Amino acid sequence: MTEKKYLETHEWYSLSENTITIGISDYAQGELGDIVFVTLPEVGEEFSKGDSMVEVEATKTVAEAYAPMDCVITEVNARLESEPEVINTDPCGDGWMVKAEVKNLDDTGMLYQEYETFIS
Amino acid sequence: MPDSLLSPLHTYHIKNKAKFIDFAGWSMPFSYDGTIKEHSYVRTDSGFFDVSHMGRIEIQNSEIDNLSKLICSDIKNLDEGKALYSIFTNSDGCAIDDVIFWKFSDYIVLICNAANSSKVIDHLKEHSISINVITQSTALIAVQGPNSLNLMSNFLQIPDEFSCVKNDIYTYARTGYTGEDGLEIMVSLDNLDNLIDFLTSSEVNPCGLGARDTLRLEASLPLYGFELSQNITPIEAGLKWTVTNKNAFLGSDVINEQINTGNHQILKKFTIDSKSIARTGTNVKAGNTPGVVTSGNYSPILKKSIGFALFENQPTTDLLEFDIRGKLVEGKIIKKRFLS
Repeated sequence: MTEKKYLETHEWYSLSENTITIGISDYAQGELGDIVFVTLPEVGEEFSKGDSMVEVEATKTVAEAYAPMDCVITEVNARLESEPEVINTDPCGDGWMVKAEVKNLDDTGMLYQEYETFIS
Repeated sequence: MPDSLLSPLHTYHIKNKAKFIDFAGWSMPFSYDGTIKEHSYVRTDSGFFDVSHMGRIEIQNSEIDNLSKLICSDIKNLDEGKALYSIFTNSDGCAIDDVIFWKFSDYIVLICNAANSSKVIDHLKEHSISINVITQSTALIAVQGPNSLNLMSNFLQIPDEFSCVKNDIYTYARTGYTGEDGLEIMVSLDNLDNLIDFLTSSEVNPCGLGARDTLRLEASLPLYGFELSQNITPIEAGLKWTVTNKNAFLGSDVINEQINTGNHQILKKFTIDSKSIARTGTNVKAGNTPGVVTSGNYSPILKKSIGFALFENQPTTDLLEFDIRGKLVEGKIIKKRFLS
């Protein structure tokens, strides 16, 4: 698994061979407030870079997580269906959202230090 | 942009790691431990809110006749020591603000929404009502929840429901905005620390405006700017029970006509079973009757999506179709309160 990288739209991803794991950053969960519903994509669904993949409803507002690169969903974190609050408590660990097969590698996300500067 | 107004408890909020929100020109706590946790403190135990941003105005009882001409409820026959929820109406019968009055032997305390404070003050002055604005010389703390009265009885004498009392230090009433029992306590800034020290030593958790909003929505209570506005009458907002003023008041002709004809826009409560929240401004249809969501959020107790929507006229079906960011989502009108 590679080091996590972050997008300006506040997703994180890490790569392991041809599989990408995607979630949202701790900063993003903090801004959203309590997450109450998560709508995940179906396994097999294809996304192009920048497509909306996941919808996150929180008490404060609604947000979407976007595909960091072209990919096809291979696994979703089903635990989020019944325990969406895991994204609040562990956004970069147990709160991961989807795993996908990379179709077009575009590993241009920010390393944490750069992302930290971006959000500050 | 001018600097935000700060609550007298601002330092306390910072010390307690509040996340702040700009609200009606004030910087106020949105949450401390998270909205859902704070919601739960109030539903199951007790919590306290700093609502010092709300407007507080003293009016002498000699002004009651004039005041009565501006509100839809009967304040003239209100007993001393009683609280009253009412609405200032404009000439169209629509809401200028919804407010609470605490009536004492010689004067009334008027508590209005922060966003409407200057509007209410101007309105009272325009109608030659003498007022004394005490918003910034006092604080207002709401202690709410099923255990709140038992706890507060160690500190204050507990009045009957919807009653108000005062002693040398505290002016307070058994009122609130959460659907739970509790007190709303006004105190001069000199004595605020005593109250906060009591709440802190009693381990009452502070709660933010985020929880205040989910609590009031779940308790089926309207919020000005959403369920009530200068384009919505109390009748349209389902608040006919507040119209107890038998004499003429500003806009009473419009309100009486709406009561008689039933021909007006109408606010309804709804639930959605799927995992979508219909937020403010979402378009909705009940059959052919169009409407718009005024407030929508997640109910932590019902664990589902709830809200209010304003329809152009009385819908003929309870089945709803929301257009949530281009996706059609089903919901239904409910007639009872969200919480039984």
